[in-house]
This record gives sequence, C-alpha cells and structure tokens, in this order.
Amino acid sequence: MAPKVFVPSPDRPPPVDTSGPLVWIRRNLFRDVPNTLMTLLGAYIAVTFVTAVVDWALIDAVWQAESRRECLDLVGRSGACWPGVFVWFENLIYGLYPKDQVWRINTGFLLLVVWMVPLWMPRVVSKVAIGLSAVMLYPFLASYFFLGGEKGLVWTALIAAGLWGLIWVWATALTETLTGKSVGTWLIGRLGRSGADEATQMRIRRGAALALFVVSVLLVAPAEFVEVRTQFWGGLFLTLVISGIGITFSLPAGILLALGRRSKMPVVATLCTVFIELFRSVPLITILFMFNTMLPLFLPAGTEVNQLVRAIVAVCLFAAAYMAEIIRGGLQAIPSGQYEAATSLGLGYWQTTTQVVLPQALKIMIPAIVGNFIGLFKDTTLVSIIGLFDLMNMARAVGEDSNWLGLFIEPFFVVTLIYFVFCFAMSCYSMNLERKLSAGRERS
Amino acid sequence: MKKTILTGALLGAAAALPAAAQDTLATVKERGMLNCQVGLPTPGFYALADDGTWSGMDVDMCRAVSAAIFGDPDMVEYQSVTSAVRFTALANAESDMLSRTTTWTAVRDTQLGLDFTLVNFYDGQGFLVPVDSGITSALDLDGATVCVLTGTTTELNLADYFRANEMEFTPVTNENVNVLVETYLGGGCDAYTNDKSGLAARRSAFPDPEAHVILPETVSKEPLGPVVRQGDDAWANIVRWVGFGLINAEELGVTSENVAEMAANPPSPNVARLLGAEGNIGEEMGLEPDFMVDVISAVGNYGEMYERHIETGIGIPRAGSLNAMWTEGGILYAPPFR
Repeated sequence: MAPKVFVPSPDRPPPVDTSGPLVWIRRNLFRDVPNTLMTLLGAYIAVTFVTAVVDWALIDAVWQAESRRECLDLVGRSGACWPGVFVWFENLIYGLYPKDQVWRINTGFLLLVVWMVPLWMPRVVSKVAIGLSAVMLYPFLASYFFLGGEKGLVWTALIAAGLWGLIWVWATALTETLTGKSVGTWLIGRLGRSGADEATQMRIRRGAALALFVVSVLLVAPAEFVEVRTQFWGGLFLTLVISGIGITFSLPAGILLALGRRSKMPVVATLCTVFIELFRSVPLITILFMFNTMLPLFLPAGTEVNQLVRAIVAVCLFAAAYMAEIIRGGLQAIPSGQYEAATSLGLGYWQTTTQVVLPQALKIMIPAIVGNFIGLFKDTTLVSIIGLFDLMNMARAVGEDSNWLGLFIEPFFVVTLIYFVFCFAMSCYSMNLERKLSAGRERS
Repeated sequence: MKKTILTGALLGAAAALPAAAQDTLATVKERGMLNCQVGLPTPGFYALADDGTWSGMDVDMCRAVSAAIFGDPDMVEYQSVTSAVRFTALANAESDMLSRTTTWTAVRDTQLGLDFTLVNFYDGQGFLVPVDSGITSALDLDGATVCVLTGTTTELNLADYFRANEMEFTPVTNENVNVLVETYLGGGCDAYTNDKSGLAARRSAFPDPEAHVILPETVSKEPLGPVVRQGDDAWANIVRWVGFGLINAEELGVTSENVAEMAANPPSPNVARLLGAEGNIGEEMGLEPDFMVDVISAVGNYGEMYERHIETGIGIPRAGSLNAMWTEGGILYAPPFR
C-alpha cells in the first residue's frame, strides 16, 4: 500500500479584480451586449442634451444687448438672450416693489435668518420656544417691513411684540450659551434676588418682560416706512410669502384637524372630516377662483378684502386639509400599545398626544410632510392665474416687454433653476432631519 | 300665481339693488384711486416695463379717466387680471372700469351686466403665414394646422370662418402667446391667427420679420373699448365722454401741446365747449368744467395716443386702417361734444 502523500491541487487562476473603478464600470455598464448598448445609448442622449443646453445657454448666448432684436441679429434663435433676464432680474425676485424700498424685503428675510440662528447653536436649550416665537411673532415684525404705511394702535403693539420676540430670542440664546441659565434666572441672579421667594421672582420676570415690551413699543412707534401696497408685491418674494405662510399655517392646523378627525367627540370629528374632505376633493385652482372672484360677491358691498389675503387664505385652507390627512396617517402608524402605555402612566389626552404620540408620528411623517411642503411651494404658481405677479407670472411678463418681446425660454429657464434650488434645499434639509432624528434606531 | 309675483318682486329688487347702491364716481373720489383693470402685459395696449410702470393705448384710457376725475393721470391702480376672470372682477366691484382690448359683443353687453362705453380701437382677426409657403389668401388654408390662443373669441372665429368656407383645419392651442409663436416659428403650425394688431406686434419681434406675411383677409370684427358695470349710468357717461372727448380733440386739432393756449383763447365754439370755456358739460357730469384740459394735457388726443403706443410702439400704421379719423377714410367717429 503506497504511502499517502500530500499532493497539492494545481493552482487556481488568479482572482478577477473585484474592486476598483474599472471593475465597477465593467460590472455595471458593460456586463453584456444589451447592457452595453443601453449604456452607449444613454451616454449619447446625455451628451447630446447637455451639449445642446450648454451651447444654447453659455456658448452661443448673448450677454450684452439693448433689446431682443439685437440678440436675434447676433445669433438668431440658436443662443440664449440673457440681457433681457438681467434687466428683469430684480423684478423676478422682488416683483414691482419700488426699487428704493427693496432693502426692506432683504432686511425682513435677514431678520428671519437672525431669528432662526439660535436654533442651530448647540448650547441653547429653549429651542422649541424659539421656534414657536418665530412662527407666532416674526410675521408681525416682517409684515411692517414688507407693507409699511400707517400703523394703528393695535398693529403698533403687534409689531412691538415681534421686536420683543426677537430681542428675547437673542437674550435667551446669549444667556443660555454663556451661563447655561435662562434669561429670567440670569437676570434674577444679577439682581441678587436668587434667594427671593417664587412670587417675587415671578414679579421680576413679568416686570422685565413688560419693560422690554415698553422699550419695543418706543422703538417701533417712531419707525415710518412708506406704504407698499400688496399689488406691487411679486416675483420670488411673493412666492415665498404665500408658500411661507401656507407652510407655517398648514402644519399646526393640519395637526389640529387630524386630531379632531380622530376625536371621539362627534361634533368635532364631523366638522373636521367635512372640512378636510371638502377641501381635498376640490382642485386648488377652483378654490383660488372661488376665493378670488366669488367671495366678494357674498360679502356686503363696500367690504374690500385684499386680493393677496384671499389667495393666502385659500392656499392655507387647502394645504391644511392635505396636511391633516398626512398627519392622520402618521397617527395611525403609532401602535395602540403606546396609547395604552401612556394611559397606564396616568397621562391625560393632551399629555399623551404631545409627549408620546405626536413626536413619534411626526418623525415617521417627515418625508411626506416635506413632500407636501415642496408641492405647496410649487402649487403657489397657480396664483398667477388670478393675476398675482408671482415668480411664474413675472417670468411671463418679460416676454411681453416691447424691448424683449417673445423672450420666454430664457426667463423660464432661470425660474426653473430658482425653483430647483429651493425645492432641492428643502429636500436635503428633510433628509438631514431624518438622519438626525433616527440616529438612535439606525438599521442597515 | 302669488309665488310668481313674489319671485318677480324678489328678482326685481335684486336687479334694482346694485343700481341704487352704486355711485362709482363717489366711491372712486373717496378712495382717491381709480381701480382700472388691464390684462396680462401686452405690448401696445397695456405694456409693463421693467421699472414697473404701465403704458399703452388702454392704459392711457385709464389715465385719461383719472385725469378727468382728479386732475392727475397717476391716481390709477392697475389691476392685471387674466381674461378668464375679467368680467367677474368688474361685476364684484373690484375694478371700476375695464380697459383691456375687450371685444364688444351682444352677449357680453346684454347678458353679463356690463356696459360697453365706446369703441376706441377697431381690430380684426387675421392670419400670419411664412412667405415661402406660397399662401396668399386665407382661402388657401384648407387642411392647414393653425396656432390659436385658447379660450378667446379668436378660437371661435377661426372655427366659424373655416366652417363657412367649407375648409378643414387642425388647431394647435395654448394659452400663452409666446409658446404659440415659438411653435409657429419652429414649424409646428402652418399659420398663426390672432387680432391683426397682435400679429403685427409679434411679427416685428421675429428673427426675420420679412419672411412672414399677414394675409389680407380679416375674418372677424373686433371693436374694442372700455367697459363699466351696468347700472351706474353717470359713471358710464364719464368714461364714454372722456373717450369721445379724446377723439373730438383730435378732430378739432387740440393737442397736449396747444391745449393750454386753446383753453385760454378758444379758436372756435366747439373747442370752447370741449375745453369747458363754454357750457356746463363737465359740471353736469360731476367733474370740473375744464376736465378735458387735464385729460388732454396728460395723455394727448386720440391721435397722439395712437401714434405713441401703436404706430411707433408696435409698428402698425394708422393711415388707411379703420382706426383713421372718419375725415381721413377711417371709421373713427365721435358724437359732437355739445
């Protein structure tokens, strides 16, 4: 019996590359004949399209001209005629707002940014209050910047409340970042009254708030801006105002409607259901027409409701109805165990809702909610049909200017880019938010 | 029977209500602003410049009425409204008047609660075709693809014309003129139809205007003019006679340049009456006696308006057209100002 000798089996061929760009290309783009054909076809289409756009928009384009006639004489229709868009660019952004007052719009939006900055400051604790104040108080401040004009007693107080909010937000942000205390506690500490009883402390807080409000009133009262009627609002500014108000209104209103629809109280539930179903089963354009043209017929003669206000109300109600159904979807995804657990802990309805159910429901619904926001932002273009000069209508006006008659691809191209930037930014922010909120339950 | 009477009474009351309730002149004076409705920007008639100012033939009509009421042509708030809601915006009193290339038709005048005040522009629908298509008459268009604005009388006229002449056509519709023009230039349709003033304006902005021709046929009557709400005759009279005043001013040779001088020394009784030196026409209308002086110094006479906005503005000559003065072969004819 021959001894068993270990004979190694012959070498296997060296392994094929399993990584690296070349392998990736071979695997994904040129795996077999149909795959290769598709790749080549796709590449051909992409290259043709991109070069056509680049040729038109950059290479053959005219950058300096006095009128479209000059552009046409230079390149005909093969290249873009940008000077018309440059001349109208300010109108695309601000509408027909007087040019010397445009700084007010810029300041108004800058104030919003300033207001929101503390939300991203790591050591600030009162973020919910800051966010709420931005929703509730900022609009008053902004409204005076945008609209201006004669301000009555009530409006002065409201604007002052806005200013008060802004000052409070930054005072809170600073004291919380620097000392870790809320602004009231910090103030009491500075006054050396930390030992005082609760009632005294409360009095100090209230007194300080009131003093700050008086200061705000004194600051606001002498400010005088020329009135810019809403008829002159337009462009991206108007689009942002309408969709901004629509978005900020629709979320809380949607939450309330969704809770109402699931309520056990029959009257509330019926009312909410009727409202939601009514507004959801009618196209936005119909609602806009209804509010714009029919509403004044029902109102007593002589009542003039601003056209922009009517459009905004229509958009808000429509958006709220859609938002309500999205939120309801989120509420239904919460297992009943959560409700039972909350009840067994002794939490009441509002505690259960705000502390247990809504935080979970809203988190699940982020993609749908942001999707709805993006849809709303784009839906606002419909207001151009009732004659408001939003971004779309302004773009159309460029081609009706006698100097630039017929120029419409270029302005719409620019408007497309503007819409893309805004929608993509919203989309990115929502993805970021989702990642941040679900860090605790990452699955792969 | 009783029910019928009751219904009739209710309807009568409803119809009488607005008439009794409205005094547009007082409302406008109290507001200090004339709400004048124009359309989406359109060159020549209501054009929007990049600095936000409106100008054009129809805009001048608004300015003229404002000058007649306030002595200042700029007390106007322009409301730019789509054609779809133009009459509703007038009916619900959002606009005081409508000055926006609106065709006077029987249905609109009798059924919509509107009053057409006068015709201040005679337009008509025509066809634009490429020269090298060899088409020289609209009757050659059998089987053609025609680009047409949707939702306008233009679309209906087109169908009527082809049916009357037993011809076939395929419409290409859009609600944006620029899209239609681009389609036409790209060869998407054989002809583009619109009011001839519009055709001429668009053609002037083509890369090569000479390569396109407007066919001689006019297939519709489009008398355009300012419109007011029915039931306020005093207000309708103001708009109507400001318009007629502008035409009379041209006939009498009163221009924005010589109006001050003519008001001081009227060369004829007619001029004296027009400019308020004689008679009490203005006062009876609730205006200043010399309101036409303010109007003419602000916008000029009809001829000046036409020259400024239509002839040099969008390049449509007046001589030989319907809009020429009746003394010069046109049909522009205003009742005497007396």
